[in-house]
Amino acid sequence: MSESLYTQLLYLAAGAFLLTAVLILWRRELAVIVRILALQGLALAVMVAVLAAREGSVELWAVAGGIAVLRVGVLPHLVRRALTGAEAARRESAPSVNVASSLLAAAGLTLLGFAVSQPLVALAPSPATQAVPVGVTVVLIGFLVLVTRRRALSQLVGFLLLDNGITAVGFLTTAGVGLVVEVGVSLDVLLAVLVLQLLATRMRETFGDTDLDELRELRD
Amino acid sequence: MNLASLGLAGAVTAGVVTALVAVLVPVRARPVVTGAGLVLTGAAGVAAGAAGLAGVTFSVSWPAVLPLTGVAFGMDQLAGLFLAVTGGVALIAGVYGVSYSRHGRAAQATLPLFVVAMLLVPAATSVGTLLVCWELMALTSLLLVLAEHRQRPEVAVAGRWYAVLTHLGFATILCGLLILVAHAPGDSFADLRAAPLPGGVAGLVFVLTLVGFTSKAGILPLHAWLPRAHPEAPSHVSALMSAAMVNLGVYGVVRVGLDLLGGGPRWWWLVVLGLGAVSAVYGILQAAMSTDLKRLLGFSTTENLGLVLVGVGAAGLLAAGGQRVLAGLALAAALLHVVNHAAFKTTLFLAAGSVLHATGVRDLDQLGGLRRGMPVTTAVFGWGALAASALPPGTAFVSEWLLLQALVHGVPEGGGAEAVVMPVAVAVVALTAGLAVATFVKAFGVGFLARPRSRQAGEAHESPPSMLAGMVLAAAVAAVLAVLPTLVLPAVGAAAAVAVGGGPATSGVLTVRLTGVAGELSPLVYAVALLAAVVLVLGGLRATATRRARRAARLWDCGGGPLSARMEYTATSFAEPLQRVFDDVLEPEQDVTVDHVEESRYLVRAVEYRRAVPDRVERRLYPPVIAALRAWGEAGRRLATGSVHRYLGYGFYTLCGVLLVLAVIS
Repeated sequence: MSESLYTQLLYLAAGAFLLTAVLILWRRELAVIVRILALQGLALAVMVAVLAAREGSVELWAVAGGIAVLRVGVLPHLVRRALTGAEAARRESAPSVNVASSLLAAAGLTLLGFAVSQPLVALAPSPATQAVPVGVTVVLIGFLVLVTRRRALSQLVGFLLLDNGITAVGFLTTAGVGLVVEVGVSLDVLLAVLVLQLLATRMRETFGDTDLDELRELRD
Repeated sequence: MNLASLGLAGAVTAGVVTALVAVLVPVRARPVVTGAGLVLTGAAGVAAGAAGLAGVTFSVSWPAVLPLTGVAFGMDQLAGLFLAVTGGVALIAGVYGVSYSRHGRAAQATLPLFVVAMLLVPAATSVGTLLVCWELMALTSLLLVLAEHRQRPEVAVAGRWYAVLTHLGFATILCGLLILVAHAPGDSFADLRAAPLPGGVAGLVFVLTLVGFTSKAGILPLHAWLPRAHPEAPSHVSALMSAAMVNLGVYGVVRVGLDLLGGGPRWWWLVVLGLGAVSAVYGILQAAMSTDLKRLLGFSTTENLGLVLVGVGAAGLLAAGGQRVLAGLALAAALLHVVNHAAFKTTLFLAAGSVLHATGVRDLDQLGGLRRGMPVTTAVFGWGALAASALPPGTAFVSEWLLLQALVHGVPEGGGAEAVVMPVAVAVVALTAGLAVATFVKAFGVGFLARPRSRQAGEAHESPPSMLAGMVLAAAVAAVLAVLPTLVLPAVGAAAAVAVGGGPATSGVLTVRLTGVAGELSPLVYAVALLAAVVLVLGGLRATATRRARRAARLWDCGGGPLSARMEYTATSFAEPLQRVFDDVLEPEQDVTVDHVEESRYLVRAVEYRRAVPDRVERRLYPPVIAALRAWGEAGRRLATGSVHRYLGYGFYTLCGVLLVLAVIS
């Protein structure tokens, strides 16, 4: 793979990664959001695959395959399963910040992400590290989703966005954090999603709704 | 391996093994096993301390034992002194506890660990080790204070006060010592001594550690735990806390202020002296007003530690003025008072425990007449009271005399601050000595003599033999220290010389001769002369008085009917004149209710008199602080509304804020 092709492919994947994050902020139908999440997983897997092709590392190829299975297949499937049978909760009805403001905030967060990552990029300038700000931005956007969206499912999506961003930063800075670590982290995420899915289902059974602010009464 | 290290290792091993065995053995054998283990631990501690005082040193360090800091122990004369005192008190408490202690498994197993922690504190030679041992000591003592929590609800309150104040103290010590370590190449004491410190930093370190160490020593204004925790703990634990643990506060001040920081400017020691003087007067005043026997003894601890700090402050002040000999004398006086106080306070607390064991009553107004039922306890408490009241031939007399000598001779040679402070300090020592006499006359006279004021006091019986043995042993030690202080004075002087330099402060065997200044005292001669005078007077009276046949008759009662216990002086009424004199200082709360007969307003049916002397310092100082903290906490609750989004938002906005700041400044 030539240098320019590698750079082009990497940036394409990174662009798709960022774009899907912003799309998640924009769309309000939960089913669509889950589909976009799967797309983002794909973008992440492609990013890792490009890195693997560049390094020629078998281990990294395996990680890319694992990421594809987990983030394109398993996690979106789990989230979708929490979604079925709840027609009322299919739309993120009333986010605490409206969509237009969310998009503006995302623009601000992107600027912030790029500004903060400058020292990181300056440490070892290379095409891969140039894309680190994208990862940081996705982390911040994931956090924003967590803060502003009310449905338990959107929270789940925000959490996965956060995790995708962290994984991306990890791969872009170090070109792989080791198979064992990556498998461990992935298992963790899988477990967290399973627990959250269960929680969301229980919430709906108890309250007939998945608005997290219903939980307010539980404090001491 | 030498005697010092062997003794310390033996003490630690014995203590830990005792704790383990105490958990395992059946309930019947537990007090005996714990007592025996404690005696072994204490004896090994005394041996190690004595070796340290004799000049044996050692130093070990295991960097791998504790993460980050490692563990380092060592020995010098100063450490040896405190080690020996702690070991001695533990030994006596062990003997006493065999038949006294009926507490649960946890308390029995914690006691040896508490002693081990107290033995390790002075032996620590690095900041990390010191802090770990200090915290271990605080935790184990807290558990012991709570030992009787099933019997009395007040124990929980006392425990809470103690927990909060001791950890506040620990936090300030931690901050102070960490600042010190930050300016040194390592955290061992040798590194700290060599560290070049800017003056301001040294002052900060000293003030922070002073706050922490004085709170452990029960010095104002962080004394509030002491009169609560001491009465509620089991009596042999009270003895250990009051005679051994509080000393380590003094050790901390001396070690950090005089040894590690090497003296320092005068204002440090003026602060120490001032705190000590105020605590001494305030402590003994509260003790004089107190009607709870163990609370009285607790406040007396505040007084005596105050006197010790007066000595330490004077030593620092004199050393800062370049008068090394006098500084050595003042510090030797202070350290001797530590030893003496340990001896007589152990005696008194153990005797008080014996009273509590026999009657279940601590209130002096309900005691009295114990002389018949408990002759040994009465004799021991009487001797302890004499020892504590700074009268010859008492134990405290020698050390207070030395302290006065140092203060008096400190006047003409120094200039400026000394010229004002020293005479005031002399007056303070004299005032506390006078008030202490009144206090202990009250405690002994009202508590033990006259007629019993309650059924429990009337039915009192003597305690079991091991308790008596412990008490008598403590009293004997106090007696030896009173008559032959010269046995320990050279060692105490050597310990003082570690901190301030200079040679031995005193010399002589039968007579205490001061080096450097004119002055000598022979407690032995005083004691013999007093004894001879008493014998002569009694014998003379016997010989000269005309003998008459004894005749039984009714006691003259002014026609007021048979004398009853209600006509006796109570502790409250005994203290009343003093309370009037110090009315402005104490601010007592008095309440007189006069009840009239219904037919006529001029006929009084009953008069009710209530008096309480609340701790004024505590009432003025603590509630505002507690109220402010409470308000702060209530304000904090408003941040936590229960909304998950809000909590997430806090995290998000903080993260973005930090990132923004980073982006701007980098």
